[in-house]
Amino acid sequence: MPPGKSRTSSWQGVVLVAITYTYFLIFAQFAFLQRLATLGIAETHLKIVMAAMAIGGILFSLLTPRIRFIQSPNLRLRVGLGASSAAALFTLLPLSFVAATALSFLIGAALGVLTVTLVTNLHQWVGNRNALLKVGLGTGIGYFACNVPLLFTATPQVQAATAAILCFAALCLPLRSAPETPPQAPNPPQTGRSFLLVLASFAALVWLDSAAFFIIQNTPALKSGTWQGSIHLWTNAALHFAAALASAWLLRRKGLSFVLYGAFVALGCACLLLLSPDRILVASILYPIGVSLYSVALVAYPSLFAPVSTAAERGRQAGWIYAVAGWSASVLGIGMGQNLGYVPPAFVLASGVVILLPWLFRLFLSRMREIVLAEVVLLAAFGLNRVLQPARQTSPSSQIERGRQVYISEGCISCHSQYVRPNTSDVLMWGPVESIQEIRLQHPPLIGNRRQGPDLSQVGVRRSALWLKAHFYDPPEVSGASIMPTFAFLFRDQRGGDLVAYLASLRGADAQQHIAEVRRWQPSTAAVQAANPAEGRSLYQRYCATCHAADGRTHSTWEAGFKRLPTDLIDGPFYDLPGSGTREERMIRIAQMAKFGILGTDMPGHEYLPDQQIASISLWVLQNIAHPVQNQ
Amino acid sequence: MRDESASPYRMPRVVSSAAWHSLLWLVVANAIGTMIAILLLVPGLNQLLGEWTYGRWIMVHMNLMLYGWTSLPLVGFLFVTYGADHGDLAKWCRPVLWVWSVALFVGSLSWLSGHSSGKLFLDWSGYARVVFPVALIALWLLLVVAMVRNWRDPKHATIAGRAAKLVGLAILLAVPFALYIESSPGLYPAVNPDTGGPTGTSQLESSLMVVVILLMLPFGITRRKVASQRLINIGWAVLVAESLLCLALGHADTSHHSPAQYLSLGSLLVWLPLMPAYYAAFEWGSNTRRWRYAFLWWWGALVLTGWIFFLPGVLDHFKFTDGLVGHSFVAMAGFTSSLLIFVMIQLMGEDGWIFNRSRSFYLWHASVVGYIVVITVAGWLEGFDPTFTIVPGPTRNVLYILRLVTGICMLLASLDWFVDASTVLREPTPAAIPVAQEQIA
Repeated sequence: MPPGKSRTSSWQGVVLVAITYTYFLIFAQFAFLQRLATLGIAETHLKIVMAAMAIGGILFSLLTPRIRFIQSPNLRLRVGLGASSAAALFTLLPLSFVAATALSFLIGAALGVLTVTLVTNLHQWVGNRNALLKVGLGTGIGYFACNVPLLFTATPQVQAATAAILCFAALCLPLRSAPETPPQAPNPPQTGRSFLLVLASFAALVWLDSAAFFIIQNTPALKSGTWQGSIHLWTNAALHFAAALASAWLLRRKGLSFVLYGAFVALGCACLLLLSPDRILVASILYPIGVSLYSVALVAYPSLFAPVSTAAERGRQAGWIYAVAGWSASVLGIGMGQNLGYVPPAFVLASGVVILLPWLFRLFLSRMREIVLAEVVLLAAFGLNRVLQPARQTSPSSQIERGRQVYISEGCISCHSQYVRPNTSDVLMWGPVESIQEIRLQHPPLIGNRRQGPDLSQVGVRRSALWLKAHFYDPPEVSGASIMPTFAFLFRDQRGGDLVAYLASLRGADAQQHIAEVRRWQPSTAAVQAANPAEGRSLYQRYCATCHAADGRTHSTWEAGFKRLPTDLIDGPFYDLPGSGTREERMIRIAQMAKFGILGTDMPGHEYLPDQQIASISLWVLQNIAHPVQNQ
Repeated sequence: MRDESASPYRMPRVVSSAAWHSLLWLVVANAIGTMIAILLLVPGLNQLLGEWTYGRWIMVHMNLMLYGWTSLPLVGFLFVTYGADHGDLAKWCRPVLWVWSVALFVGSLSWLSGHSSGKLFLDWSGYARVVFPVALIALWLLLVVAMVRNWRDPKHATIAGRAAKLVGLAILLAVPFALYIESSPGLYPAVNPDTGGPTGTSQLESSLMVVVILLMLPFGITRRKVASQRLINIGWAVLVAESLLCLALGHADTSHHSPAQYLSLGSLLVWLPLMPAYYAAFEWGSNTRRWRYAFLWWWGALVLTGWIFFLPGVLDHFKFTDGLVGHSFVAMAGFTSSLLIFVMIQLMGEDGWIFNRSRSFYLWHASVVGYIVVITVAGWLEGFDPTFTIVPGPTRNVLYILRLVTGICMLLASLDWFVDASTVLREPTPAAIPVAQEQIA
């Protein structure tokens, strides 16, 4: 064979894989569905139409290796490409339900012929040099192209036309005839697993992929974090491409099992992360990696890895893989997404068992004692726990007790103490002091040993329930530069309300005495003298404007919840500022409010700010305040 | 596979397996610690954690350090001391280590799922609260079988040795029950009313427990030098005297401002010269030298800083700040880690090379010292102004970045050890090391 010809034919394989994937992903799996939506085909009709595609796909995946009347692989491939191209073009026409069903069957059938023919004879078109890399490259290019924003966000008609044109272009490629002796990949990797296990593994992966795809596609919160916006799409394109190349490299170096394990870990984790929209960012990274990892293997296994002796046997295996793992598992995955809206962790676990079976089996054989003993201990503990549980189970009866349990569960103790040290600056900031006897009544006392945030033993005196709730939703917004993470997820169920109730209840018996002490407080003379209105303005913007500016975020978000809407600090009304009195007296009162808040309202204190900063805020407010007397 | 049951010799790989499990948890805990340090600098990343929030990871980090990294080497020590590491029992050592790790994994999942008792280092709750003690009982049963098997073997124990091991078994049996009971939210130790922290008596008590372990360790893993009995006797006599002092102090909620508290805690300073002298009374493998010196230096630093940090005025300044985090680092990353590595090298023999690479030794110690300096400075500043951490500014951020860098260095050092430990376990088992009679007597 002339070397030049060999190189040409090998790149044909890359192009064919890339176009086939592009067609399947952007048209069959995506644009066609959108087109059906624009045609008004939905619900039961949609299911029937899509079922027709699956039936066509399954039927022709299984029939293609058995077709006798088109012997030439090139001709058979061209038939598949031509039918695919035509099917895509037909979707541009106005279609009735029946026509759409027939067309859907045609798409499935054409894809069945195309994919099985392609992988059965791929060695003929990729050559025998770097065959795996070429499969990886073709797959990577296909996924990359589909995620390019220009194509991804195009109309269904443009996507269908693009798919049709690509298939037509592939149809026109000069395809090399089958060599007399089929080339083999140098040192074909050992799969280390039976065909049935490979089939089951691919089926599990496609199932996970399809379910995750459907869930993301139909959940706005998830979709916005994965497939919306150019940055997301370019990132996905790059991840797919890199993972496809990595998959090819790993298939050669580590073998099929390793790639399947990697794909499962990535896809399984993505499915679990999708259970919570908060974790969509990590899921959006893992999902394309997992998909591309197995997608390369899905082409490489039947074409290059499968331990077969004849082309017919290779074709039959390819047919079973695409019929069962490709089409059937895909349908089941979409069904899971439709019916449940999530991938159950138990299903992820079951998939893991199927895919990791060879590894688990080897592990079991080499670590039998370890596994058996661990199981014995886990079971013994389970039984013992059942016996001991009734004795120690004390379900929290009140909302406050439940809230306390939430406080413990979230590890709040890691950052917040509940202990005001007597005779220290703690008392004014976080006080009053509780006695050891009072603390010992708590089970357990939650004293803590480190403060990354304020002490909370008397937080109910200092903060209203509304403030606590707003703070849990978005701490930095409510509390300046707070480093506390959001706990908004707690409010999806009763935990958030319980925690707020618990914290609001944290007020000792000496609260009134503490309030009196706070009212006696005033900034030191040195602090007042060092006050700087420019600094005050900056601090106001950071800590106060969120509530006191009419367009402040906390003001807008929680407007309906305030006991009394926060005062506009320029225009008033100033309910808590004395109309009479000297300028100094007014400044002290403003400082007291800034430092310790206003009792009975939602106004929080800023106890942690140094006196000089409090004086600066007070001075700036005082200088900009509009006629406090008239505004009372 | 080698027939271990036929061998009358100690299998060094048993201790290497314990070291491997221990290092695995050190790497995991250090990785979590690094993540926590990043989260403190870039709090926006907390969003990625979903419901596995910062506070839950802190529990996992701290407990893996205590129950994983610092406990498993002592399990290896117990295997050797009770002779479970040779004969056909040796094949059950690795399963027991696995069970321990599985129990820790269950605990980690439990904490991440929001199950906790609310007690630091005793956060075991629900199923995990039962699993871990059951894993401890599995270890105990193995030690009992080993003790019974070796009972009649004259090479394995003197009468005194047997008695000590029986007492040890009785104490070890109490541990799982104590752990279960102490995890109950209803129990809480004495409180220093001026800080909310432990009293001087509590600290003296826990320090003396560490002293007991330090005094006992050499008997399980080496032999005495000739004419060293006097020094050893002095060590035990001081321990007895301090224990009596501790008993006399009682368990009331007493302030650190009480002279009886800080003076009695100061009695620990006697161990500054005594502990190095005590350890010099035993024979040690030449490859332990570096880590033995390191652990004794850290011991000195721990005792001294522990007392200084408890003094009136000093504790008032540092309580609830990073300063005490720094002190806990002296205890865990400095002293305890060096001690455990020293013990593991002694037990592992030639396999102990994994801890003796200069790069990881110096990287670990330099980063631990760096961490302690940085975090103590942060604590010092925070002691004057709580805003220092509540409203982070440039100084705090620079210090926390330095802390992150030192944390990454510690992670790298631990990874180095872990990779080497994995290599050792993959290597063919070397010729079994005959058990020195004196070593196990």
